[in-house]
Amino acid sequence: MLKQVNAMGDPCPIPVIKTKNAIKELSGSGTVEVLVDNETAVQNLTRLANNNGYAVKSEKLGDKEFRVVMEVTGAPAAQAGEDDSETCLVPAGTGRNNTVVVISSPCMGTGSDELGATLMKSFIFALTQQDTLPRTILFYNGGAKLTTEGSASLEDLKSLEAQGVEILTCGTCLNFFGLTDKLKVGGVTNMYDIVEKMSSAGRVVRP
Amino acid sequence: MREKKPALIITFSTTTDAMGMEQFCAQNALPGRLIPVPREISAGCGLAWKAPVEAKESLMAAMADAGMHWQEARVLELWV
Repeated sequence: MLKQVNAMGDPCPIPVIKTKNAIKELSGSGTVEVLVDNETAVQNLTRLANNNGYAVKSEKLGDKEFRVVMEVTGAPAAQAGEDDSETCLVPAGTGRNNTVVVISSPCMGTGSDELGATLMKSFIFALTQQDTLPRTILFYNGGAKLTTEGSASLEDLKSLEAQGVEILTCGTCLNFFGLTDKLKVGGVTNMYDIVEKMSSAGRVVRP
Repeated sequence: MREKKPALIITFSTTTDAMGMEQFCAQNALPGRLIPVPREISAGCGLAWKAPVEAKESLMAAMADAGMHWQEARVLELWV
Protein backbone atom coordinates (compact mmCIF):
# COMPACT_ATOMS: atom_id res chain seq x y z
CA MET A 1 0.00 0.00 0.00
CA LEU A 2 1.26 3.49 -0.87
CA LYS A 3 0.38 6.63 1.05
CA GLN A 4 1.30 9.99 -0.42
CA VAL A 5 1.72 13.12 1.72
CA ASN A 6 2.05 16.62 0.34
CA ALA A 7 3.79 18.77 2.96
CA MET A 8 5.08 21.43 0.60
CA GLY A 9 5.07 24.80 2.36
CA ASP A 10 4.25 23.30 5.75
CA PRO A 11 6.34 24.55 8.69
CA CYS A 12 7.86 22.12 11.20
CA PRO A 13 6.42 19.99 12.77
CA ILE A 14 3.51 19.73 10.28
CA PRO A 15 5.37 17.47 7.76
CA VAL A 16 6.22 15.06 10.59
CA ILE A 17 2.65 15.11 11.96
CA LYS A 18 1.15 14.49 8.51
CA THR A 19 3.61 11.64 7.97
CA LYS A 20 2.78 10.06 11.33
CA ASN A 21 -0.91 10.20 10.44
CA ALA A 22 -0.21 8.56 7.08
CA ILE A 23 1.75 5.80 8.82
CA LYS A 24 -1.19 5.23 11.19
CA GLU A 25 -3.59 5.04 8.24
CA LEU A 26 -1.47 2.31 6.70
CA SER A 27 -2.45 0.06 9.62
CA GLY A 28 0.54 -2.13 8.94
CA SER A 29 3.26 -2.37 6.36
CA GLY A 30 3.50 -0.10 3.31
CA THR A 31 5.20 2.84 1.72
CA VAL A 32 4.83 6.49 2.67
CA GLU A 33 5.99 9.07 0.16
CA VAL A 34 6.31 12.65 1.43
CA LEU A 35 6.93 15.81 -0.58
CA VAL A 36 8.56 18.71 1.32
CA ASP A 37 10.20 21.98 0.34
CA ASN A 38 13.26 22.19 2.60
CA GLU A 39 16.22 20.08 3.67
CA THR A 40 15.45 20.47 7.36
CA ALA A 41 12.11 18.73 6.86
CA VAL A 42 14.01 15.94 5.06
CA GLN A 43 16.29 15.60 8.09
CA ASN A 44 13.34 15.55 10.51
CA LEU A 45 11.53 12.88 8.47
CA THR A 46 14.71 10.83 8.14
CA ARG A 47 15.12 10.95 11.91
CA LEU A 48 11.48 9.90 12.37
CA ALA A 49 12.09 6.89 10.11
CA ASN A 50 15.38 5.97 11.77
CA ASN A 51 13.84 6.20 15.25
CA ASN A 52 11.18 3.70 14.16
CA GLY A 53 13.51 1.39 12.27
CA TYR A 54 11.99 2.12 8.85
CA ALA A 55 14.12 2.13 5.70
CA VAL A 56 14.21 5.65 4.30
CA LYS A 57 15.59 7.37 1.24
CA SER A 58 15.32 10.93 0.00
CA GLU A 59 15.99 12.76 -3.21
CA LYS A 60 16.10 16.35 -4.34
CA LEU A 61 13.57 16.89 -7.12
CA GLY A 62 14.11 20.59 -7.62
CA ASP A 63 15.39 23.76 -6.01
CA LYS A 64 12.78 23.58 -3.26
CA GLU A 65 11.28 20.16 -3.71
CA PHE A 66 12.34 16.97 -1.98
CA ARG A 67 10.82 13.49 -1.86
CA VAL A 68 11.23 11.27 1.20
CA VAL A 69 10.17 7.63 0.90
CA MET A 70 9.76 5.42 3.97
CA GLU A 71 9.19 1.69 4.00
CA VAL A 72 6.93 1.16 7.00
CA THR A 73 7.24 -2.27 8.54
CA GLY A 74 4.16 -2.35 10.71
CA ALA A 75 5.22 -0.92 14.04
CA PRO A 76 3.20 2.17 15.04
CA ALA A 77 5.27 5.30 14.69
CA ALA A 78 3.48 7.67 17.03
CA GLN A 79 3.05 6.67 20.64
CA ALA A 80 0.31 8.21 22.73
CA GLY A 81 1.47 11.30 24.52
CA GLU A 82 4.52 11.77 22.31
CA ASP A 83 5.42 15.41 21.98
CA ASP A 84 5.48 16.44 18.34
CA SER A 85 7.66 19.42 19.16
CA GLU A 86 10.45 16.92 19.84
CA THR A 87 10.46 16.10 16.17
CA CYS A 88 11.68 19.63 15.43
CA LEU A 89 15.14 19.26 16.89
CA VAL A 90 16.34 20.93 13.72
CA PRO A 91 14.03 23.93 13.27
CA ALA A 92 12.49 24.41 9.86
CA GLY A 93 13.76 26.35 6.91
CA THR A 94 16.43 28.98 7.17
CA GLY A 95 15.19 30.31 10.47
CA ARG A 96 17.24 31.22 13.49
CA ASN A 97 17.16 29.48 16.83
CA ASN A 98 17.71 30.90 20.29
CA THR A 99 21.43 30.23 20.34
CA VAL A 100 23.91 32.96 21.21
CA VAL A 101 27.49 32.50 20.08
CA VAL A 102 30.11 34.24 22.22
CA ILE A 103 33.53 35.00 20.72
CA SER A 104 36.01 36.38 23.24
CA SER A 105 39.26 35.87 21.38
CA PRO A 106 40.58 36.07 17.81
CA CYS A 107 41.95 32.56 18.37
CA MET A 108 40.13 29.28 18.94
CA GLY A 109 41.82 27.28 21.65
CA THR A 110 45.35 27.55 22.98
CA GLY A 111 48.67 26.14 21.85
CA SER A 112 49.37 28.09 18.66
CA ASP A 113 47.99 31.53 17.86
CA GLU A 114 48.57 30.92 14.14
CA LEU A 115 46.53 27.73 14.22
CA GLY A 116 44.03 29.31 16.63
CA ALA A 117 43.35 32.17 14.19
CA THR A 118 42.84 29.69 11.36
CA LEU A 119 40.49 27.61 13.50
CA MET A 120 38.44 30.69 14.46
CA LYS A 121 38.10 31.67 10.79
CA SER A 122 36.96 28.11 10.11
CA PHE A 123 34.49 28.21 12.99
CA ILE A 124 32.86 31.41 11.71
CA PHE A 125 32.69 30.00 8.16
CA ALA A 126 31.11 26.81 9.54
CA LEU A 127 28.47 28.96 11.25
CA THR A 128 27.44 30.26 7.81
CA GLN A 129 26.95 26.67 6.66
CA GLN A 130 24.47 25.68 9.37
CA ASP A 131 20.89 25.07 8.28
CA THR A 132 19.74 26.92 11.37
CA LEU A 133 21.62 30.09 12.23
CA PRO A 134 22.22 31.50 15.73
CA ARG A 135 20.14 34.41 16.99
CA THR A 136 23.09 36.55 18.03
CA ILE A 137 26.89 36.55 17.92
CA LEU A 138 28.60 38.55 20.67
CA PHE A 139 32.20 39.70 20.35
CA TYR A 140 34.21 40.94 23.30
CA ASN A 141 37.78 41.32 24.52
CA GLY A 142 40.14 40.12 21.74
CA GLY A 143 37.14 38.77 19.83
CA ALA A 144 36.24 42.40 19.03
CA LYS A 145 39.08 42.42 16.49
CA LEU A 146 37.10 40.01 14.30
CA THR A 147 34.38 42.54 13.47
CA THR A 148 36.78 45.34 12.58
CA GLU A 149 38.78 46.46 9.56
CA GLY A 150 41.27 43.87 8.35
CA SER A 151 39.46 40.87 9.83
CA ALA A 152 39.50 37.81 7.58
CA SER A 153 36.00 36.93 8.80
CA LEU A 154 34.19 40.09 7.68
CA GLU A 155 32.70 38.48 4.57
CA ASP A 156 31.24 35.59 6.61
CA LEU A 157 29.94 37.91 9.33
CA LYS A 158 28.29 40.22 6.79
CA SER A 159 26.66 37.19 5.21
CA LEU A 160 25.33 36.08 8.62
CA GLU A 161 24.07 39.59 9.35
CA ALA A 162 22.30 39.66 5.97
CA GLN A 163 20.49 36.46 7.01
CA GLY A 164 19.19 38.17 10.15
CA VAL A 165 21.84 37.14 12.67
CA GLU A 166 22.47 39.92 15.19
CA ILE A 167 26.18 40.82 15.33
CA LEU A 168 27.19 42.82 18.40
CA THR A 169 30.61 43.97 19.56
CA CYS A 170 31.51 45.25 23.02
CA GLY A 171 32.02 49.03 22.87
CA THR A 172 34.39 49.08 25.84
CA CYS A 173 36.57 46.54 24.05
CA LEU A 174 36.59 48.49 20.76
CA ASN A 175 37.63 51.58 22.71
CA PHE A 176 40.37 49.71 24.59
CA PHE A 177 41.93 48.42 21.35
CA GLY A 178 41.52 51.79 19.55
CA LEU A 179 39.12 50.18 17.09
CA THR A 180 35.98 52.26 17.72
CA ASP A 181 36.14 53.80 14.23
CA LYS A 182 37.12 50.53 12.57
CA LEU A 183 33.96 48.49 13.17
CA LYS A 184 32.90 46.97 9.84
CA VAL A 185 29.97 44.71 10.67
CA GLY A 186 27.11 44.74 13.15
CA GLY A 187 26.47 47.10 16.02
CA VAL A 188 28.06 48.17 19.30
CA THR A 189 26.79 46.87 22.61
CA ASN A 190 27.42 47.22 26.33
CA MET A 191 27.73 44.89 29.31
CA TYR A 192 24.03 45.14 30.25
CA ASP A 193 23.03 43.95 26.77
CA ILE A 194 25.67 41.23 26.85
CA VAL A 195 24.33 39.93 30.18
CA GLU A 196 20.72 40.05 28.93
CA LYS A 197 21.51 38.34 25.62
CA MET A 198 23.44 35.55 27.32
CA SER A 199 21.00 35.00 30.18
CA SER A 200 17.96 34.90 27.86
CA ALA A 201 19.61 32.53 25.36
CA GLY A 202 18.41 28.98 24.95
CA ARG A 203 22.01 27.93 24.49
CA VAL A 204 25.34 29.78 24.65
CA VAL A 205 28.11 28.51 22.40
CA ARG A 206 31.72 29.49 23.07
CA PRO A 207 34.32 28.29 20.56
CA MET B 1 16.93 34.03 0.60
CA ARG B 2 19.79 31.66 1.36
CA GLU B 3 20.90 29.40 -1.44
CA LYS B 4 23.57 26.82 -2.12
CA LYS B 5 26.01 27.25 -5.00
CA PRO B 6 28.74 25.02 -6.41
CA ALA B 7 32.27 25.65 -5.14
CA LEU B 8 35.62 24.05 -5.88
CA ILE B 9 36.98 22.28 -2.80
CA ILE B 10 40.62 21.19 -2.63
CA THR B 11 41.67 18.96 0.25
CA PHE B 12 45.12 18.32 1.70
CA SER B 13 46.68 15.49 3.64
CA THR B 14 48.12 17.76 6.34
CA THR B 15 47.03 20.93 8.12
CA THR B 16 50.39 22.49 7.28
CA ASP B 17 49.82 21.92 3.55
CA ALA B 18 46.38 23.55 3.81
CA MET B 19 47.75 26.57 5.68
CA GLY B 20 50.60 26.71 3.14
CA MET B 21 47.97 26.96 0.39
CA GLU B 22 46.54 30.07 2.05
CA GLN B 23 49.97 31.70 2.03
CA PHE B 24 50.69 30.56 -1.54
CA CYS B 25 47.42 31.97 -2.88
CA ALA B 26 47.86 35.28 -1.03
CA GLN B 27 51.37 35.70 -2.45
CA ASN B 28 50.25 34.86 -5.98
CA ALA B 29 46.90 36.68 -6.00
CA LEU B 30 45.04 33.42 -6.53
CA PRO B 31 41.36 33.19 -5.57
CA GLY B 32 39.84 31.28 -2.69
CA ARG B 33 39.89 30.85 1.06
CA LEU B 34 40.55 28.29 3.76
CA ILE B 35 37.48 26.56 5.20
CA PRO B 36 36.87 23.51 7.40
CA VAL B 37 36.51 20.40 5.23
CA PRO B 38 32.81 20.00 4.40
CA ARG B 39 31.07 17.01 5.94
CA GLU B 40 30.51 15.46 2.51
CA ILE B 41 34.27 14.86 2.30
CA SER B 42 35.75 12.58 4.90
CA ALA B 43 39.33 12.23 3.71
CA GLY B 44 42.33 14.36 4.55
CA CYS B 45 43.03 16.95 7.21
CA GLY B 46 40.39 19.27 8.64
CA LEU B 47 41.05 22.25 6.38
CA ALA B 48 40.29 22.70 2.70
CA TRP B 49 40.66 25.42 0.06
CA LYS B 50 37.41 26.79 -1.36
CA ALA B 51 37.53 28.64 -4.67
CA PRO B 52 35.26 29.51 -7.59
CA VAL B 53 34.63 26.50 -9.84
CA GLU B 54 35.83 28.45 -12.89
CA ALA B 55 39.26 28.93 -11.25
CA LYS B 56 39.93 25.19 -11.16
CA GLU B 57 42.28 24.95 -14.12
CA SER B 58 44.39 27.99 -13.26
CA LEU B 59 44.61 27.02 -9.59
CA MET B 60 45.59 23.43 -10.27
CA ALA B 61 48.19 24.54 -12.81
CA ALA B 62 49.71 27.06 -10.38
CA MET B 63 49.80 24.45 -7.62
CA ALA B 64 51.42 21.90 -9.89
CA ASP B 65 54.03 24.44 -11.06
CA ALA B 66 54.87 25.28 -7.46
CA GLY B 67 55.16 21.63 -6.46
CA MET B 68 52.28 21.90 -3.98
CA HIS B 69 50.79 18.74 -2.56
CA TRP B 70 47.03 18.26 -2.45
CA GLN B 71 44.74 15.32 -2.02
CA GLU B 72 41.55 15.87 -3.96
CA ALA B 73 39.73 18.56 -5.91
CA ARG B 74 35.97 18.36 -6.29
CA VAL B 75 32.88 20.50 -6.60
CA LEU B 76 30.35 20.74 -3.77
CA GLU B 77 27.27 22.85 -3.13
CA LEU B 78 27.70 25.19 -0.17
CA TRP B 79 25.56 27.90 1.41
CA VAL B 80 26.44 31.37 0.15
